[in-house]
Amino acid sequence: MKCEWRQDVSLYVDDELEPARQQEVAAHLRRCAECAAAVMEHTELKKAVRIAGRQFSAPPELHAGIGESLRSADVRPPLWRWSFVVLSIVAVAVLGFVLFSIPRRINPEIAELVDQHITTLASASPVDVVSSDRHTVKPWFQGKLPFSFNLPELTNSRFTLAGGKVVYLGQTPGAELLYEVSKHKISIFVFQARGNERAASLSNHNLAFTVNAWSQGGLRCYLVTDASKEDASQLASMFQAANRI
Amino acid sequence: MQDCKVSAGGIELGRSNCVSAIAFRGDVSGLPNQDFEILALPLLDPLYNFARWLCGDADEARDLVQETFAKALKGFASFRQGTNFRAWMFTILRNTFLTSRTGLEWRRTEQEDEENFEESAVTHDTPEIALIRRADTEMMRQAIATLPLAFREVLLLVDIEEMRYQEVADVLRIPVGTVMSRLSRARKQLREYIVVTLGVKHEM
Ligand SMILES: [Zn+2]
Repeated sequence: MKCEWRQDVSLYVDDELEPARQQEVAAHLRRCAECAAAVMEHTELKKAVRIAGRQFSAPPELHAGIGESLRSADVRPPLWRWSFVVLSIVAVAVLGFVLFSIPRRINPEIAELVDQHITTLASASPVDVVSSDRHTVKPWFQGKLPFSFNLPELTNSRFTLAGGKVVYLGQTPGAELLYEVSKHKISIFVFQARGNERAASLSNHNLAFTVNAWSQGGLRCYLVTDASKEDASQLASMFQAANRI
Repeated sequence: MQDCKVSAGGIELGRSNCVSAIAFRGDVSGLPNQDFEILALPLLDPLYNFARWLCGDADEARDLVQETFAKALKGFASFRQGTNFRAWMFTILRNTFLTSRTGLEWRRTEQEDEENFEESAVTHDTPEIALIRRADTEMMRQAIATLPLAFREVLLLVDIEEMRYQEVADVLRIPVGTVMSRLSRARKQLREYIVVTLGVKHEM
């Protein structure tokens, strides 16, 4: 006997079904041993292919050769590069000064997150998972954080995803996602909502950065950027839409 | 040419040719090489792995990846931000492969490959889960290596690179339906290989 649902099994395992259909199939699997066995078999095969297929890594001389060709293609004069470095340091120092000279009346959490954003920008390796693909970045956080979240589709938008990393706010682990828009960087921080949620007070702060904060679906999110307020709220609403269930 | 969706306000307006859209974007200032490095270097191993599976030769794969990076760096000024960089890199690699000696040879014979496969294909409807668990990595590698290239590349992009069917279709410039049928044939042939190699008679 062949169950009529069997045709959806490989789509289910490849995560290619619409979310509603995916749930229907999942419900069917609890009733149908035939399909459940087929899903297990597909999953095993997929896993076996993944393990066996990741066979080769680039030899060291290829790594070196590519690094060299990237450097030699770099046409920026050294002086320019140095001035860029100096300017960056000055900029970070100024921003740091602005930040710390700001009266403590701003929410200390927000101050910490702005600080984290600045640290990220100044870092030589700003993110730990480097990818513009949300299907790479989202799974990277699995197992690293006690919660999950969705990332917005950016195709046909002006935003790009640069990657992400795990950050701590006090003792609380969260995700920092780094985006870019017209050469400006945007950090979105995601934490698990706490029981006694109180909306962060953002009114009348004098920060050199735009900060948005919101809570949704058990998540506590903050956006920090020096991009325009319009860009900030656009990315924030895309992020909110992706996490609306 | 790569197909992509053009949409505004969430409404899909139609399909346009991405490559020309990129080329005539007017932004020739480009992005710094540093950005390219940040995006591209993590793809070095995946691209090399894919290249090895395509051409089956270490030297050829190395040249292929090197050429891919050179082309990508040159074209990075025209890479549209916000689009899928990984798919873009794999597309360049795949297109470069098609113009290589091995790629040209393959294009000459791919038709036969698919036809031969049709004839020898055996359908396995019953899950072979115990057998798959007994198949070790080396056997799986041999099984993947015996697949016709047209099936192997789809399988690898879906199962190793975890690309969506649509992404695979874009990279390989084939319809999504073809991605799906090649994928299912690839998997059928893997099962067949495992059954035969482990010397077990398949009983329905
Ligand atoms: Zn069923």
